[in-house]
Amino acid sequence: MSDQSSHAPAAPEEKQTLPFWPHYMLSEFIAWYIVLGILVTLSALFPAGLEAKANAMATPPHVKPEWYFLAIYQFLKVAAIFSFLGSEAPRLMGIILPGIGMGLLFFLPFLDRTPKRSARKRPIMLAVLIAVLAVMAYLTYIGGQ
Amino acid sequence: MRMTRPVSIRELPAQVFEWIDSRLGVRELVMSSLHVVIPRGAHTYYLGGITLFVFISQAVTGILLSMYYEPTPDAAYNSILYIMNQVNFGWLIRSVHAWGANLMIIFCILHMIRIIVQGAYKPPREITWMAGMGLLFVTLGFGFTGYLLPWDQRAYWATTVGTTIPEAIPAIGEWLRDFLRAGTDISALTLSRFLGVHMLILPVSLVGLFALHFLLIHRQGLADPHEEETR
Repeated sequence: MSDQSSHAPAAPEEKQTLPFWPHYMLSEFIAWYIVLGILVTLSALFPAGLEAKANAMATPPHVKPEWYFLAIYQFLKVAAIFSFLGSEAPRLMGIILPGIGMGLLFFLPFLDRTPKRSARKRPIMLAVLIAVLAVMAYLTYIGGQ
Repeated sequence: MRMTRPVSIRELPAQVFEWIDSRLGVRELVMSSLHVVIPRGAHTYYLGGITLFVFISQAVTGILLSMYYEPTPDAAYNSILYIMNQVNFGWLIRSVHAWGANLMIIFCILHMIRIIVQGAYKPPREITWMAGMGLLFVTLGFGFTGYLLPWDQRAYWATTVGTTIPEAIPAIGEWLRDFLRAGTDISALTLSRFLGVHMLILPVSLVGLFALHFLLIHRQGLADPHEEETR
């Protein structure tokens, strides 16, 4: 990439640009090739397992959903702390709060109206992001226990 | 009668391409798709592209698995055993599909974090962001519906507890749970419902959202993190 630009005359445009093809796609294909290697290596070393056939009469000791649903599953349990608001509050808060969170995330471009892009100029957004990720990671961890 | 010059073998591929291109206009489409300029400061960190690649891998391995999979409770488990033990490289195809499901979700989330950190969702890319959120939900749906299909103990009980999550939604919660399960319990109906969602509804939704996502990226170019948005 770098020796290509040294031969080329200085870009006339104000914005420094690079052609999508082949520069961008070449490095993208290299990344894909590496991921394919990772996928096949993981599959060869740790093949997908299969437990006993499903039996509605025999509940296994450790029943839990897939890891990507553990955070919300655990939050439903943690929401018991809202019981001071009434007997129905834990169940309601357990589903409403993640629902609001997902709604906020979906409409993020309309909520965050500052034109600043650099992460260094948006410390609040960065702090919120790290806090949310930390909580999700913690819930996933204790949910998996 | 018009005499045509005999075509040499070497010219044939070019002539065939010319014949097709004069009717379809493929060259123009490919050129306009590939030959675009991107800002030098804009990196993608490969995360979105890798998510696409893993999806392509999921589509290929999923189609291969569907050749041997039988979607009834009595046959499903045995068809997985057959894939794992009898079909040539069946164990590898199934394992790549299982690992790919996890990697696709991981890369989807990493891509989203990268977009938030660099503020790449800001105008004019709001629709790209919302299509991306749709893609994340579809990907999670793929994981949820695909997990039941092997019909082993882990699949059955993970789906049993997974379908209790929407129970907490007021008013429609229990109806929604029974709608997902196609009944009050996980049964043969759940399995065929999950397979239909997994193999038809979700792939079509995903391809549609991907098309919108990419059309917008192509129209607007990649976001340059060093450029403050001028509105």
